[in-house]
Amino acid sequence: MTAETAETAASRNLATCHICCKLASAELHHCPRCGSAMHLRKSDSIQRTLALLFTACLLYIPANLYPIMITEQLGKAEGSTILGGVVLLIHHGSIPIALVIFLFSVMVPIGKLMSMFYLVWTVERHSKLSPRQRTVMYQVTEFVGKWSMVDVFVVAILVALVHLGGLLEIKPGIAALSFAGVVIVTMIAAESFDARLIWDNMEEENSDDTTS
Amino acid sequence: MNKEMACHGCDLLVDVGGLKDGESASCPRCGHFLTKYRSDSYSRVLAYTMAGLILLFMANSYSFLSFSSSGLESVITLRQTPGAVWEYGMPEVAIMVAAFIIVIPTVVLVLLLALCLPLERGIYRPWLAPIAKAIFMSQNWAMVEVFIIGVIVSLVKIAAMATVVLGISFWAYAGFSICFTLAVATLDRYQCWERIEELGAAQA
Repeated sequence: MTAETAETAASRNLATCHICCKLASAELHHCPRCGSAMHLRKSDSIQRTLALLFTACLLYIPANLYPIMITEQLGKAEGSTILGGVVLLIHHGSIPIALVIFLFSVMVPIGKLMSMFYLVWTVERHSKLSPRQRTVMYQVTEFVGKWSMVDVFVVAILVALVHLGGLLEIKPGIAALSFAGVVIVTMIAAESFDARLIWDNMEEENSDDTTS
Repeated sequence: MNKEMACHGCDLLVDVGGLKDGESASCPRCGHFLTKYRSDSYSRVLAYTMAGLILLFMANSYSFLSFSSSGLESVITLRQTPGAVWEYGMPEVAIMVAAFIIVIPTVVLVLLLALCLPLERGIYRPWLAPIAKAIFMSQNWAMVEVFIIGVIVSLVKIAAMATVVLGISFWAYAGFSICFTLAVATLDRYQCWERIEELGAAQA
């Protein structure tokens, strides 16, 4: 069973190591147990996260405009974009797979960008809006991150599998690269965001109350 | 001995000292998972790791998928998946795919074996800390389960065009992805580092 001490590590000037959970004085720059870099809060968390989020937004444009996959059938090349692929699947009647692709390749990346922008915005505004829900939101964002890679893996598998001489061939399109970039950059963005900042705003309020 | 840990989600200090076998702790303020204590956790990790390594070896020895249409057939192995993307002029994507589905998971499993064998027997080794650090830094970048979903989606996409057969390697890889996920989930970050520190202190 756990007992609540109702005290944060930062209020005791203790930093916690991201790699090994070690608690140590915030004056140290490296963890005494595993040697990783140590900070009270991740350094420049908001700036880094924002920079990565904007990068991801830029990469997301070519990822949707250019074909992710080019099908060559009997010498006739036909490119399909991410959304085009979903529409094609619906026409073929594979609704469940169309939903899976739509969820992982369209909704997850957009939702991830939106929720990260929202979290950064509320932290910057020192919002006191239900920190627990925002923590859950951050955890979900962090968890779903890598699932967007599904579409890139599908392209890799189809490209490797489908080449039957000149009859039928599938080639990767440039969007595969930019989309993989979106996924990786947003994963790093989620990692560089410090969820504890959400709660630091609540601390400020509490300390204001006690001093006034 | 100090058994306090700070929640990664909200920085609250929580005493996690008195956990009994099989009990886990979450943060009372933000609900973030903290740690789970199991007296036999290292044997469990070892079991999953060894099963995973055997399955991974099988996944690399047989054909992964085969595809045939109008009398023409193409068979691929697991390694050819990133290889083909490389040949079509996208080495960056090929490197990423290879890293996420083969290289990082394999390295993590081998490191888990090197970490948990001494930990399970209670022996201190100077390489325990660097190995644990490498595992915890790279485990988020293994995407074995995502790849399995990718295979299933690809199958449905081309099922209309041709006949696709799943090879032994696919089933081995599916088993490997389960073992890998269980092994990584069973190794508790906080407990593992406490144990390394304990063993190191006993040695000194």
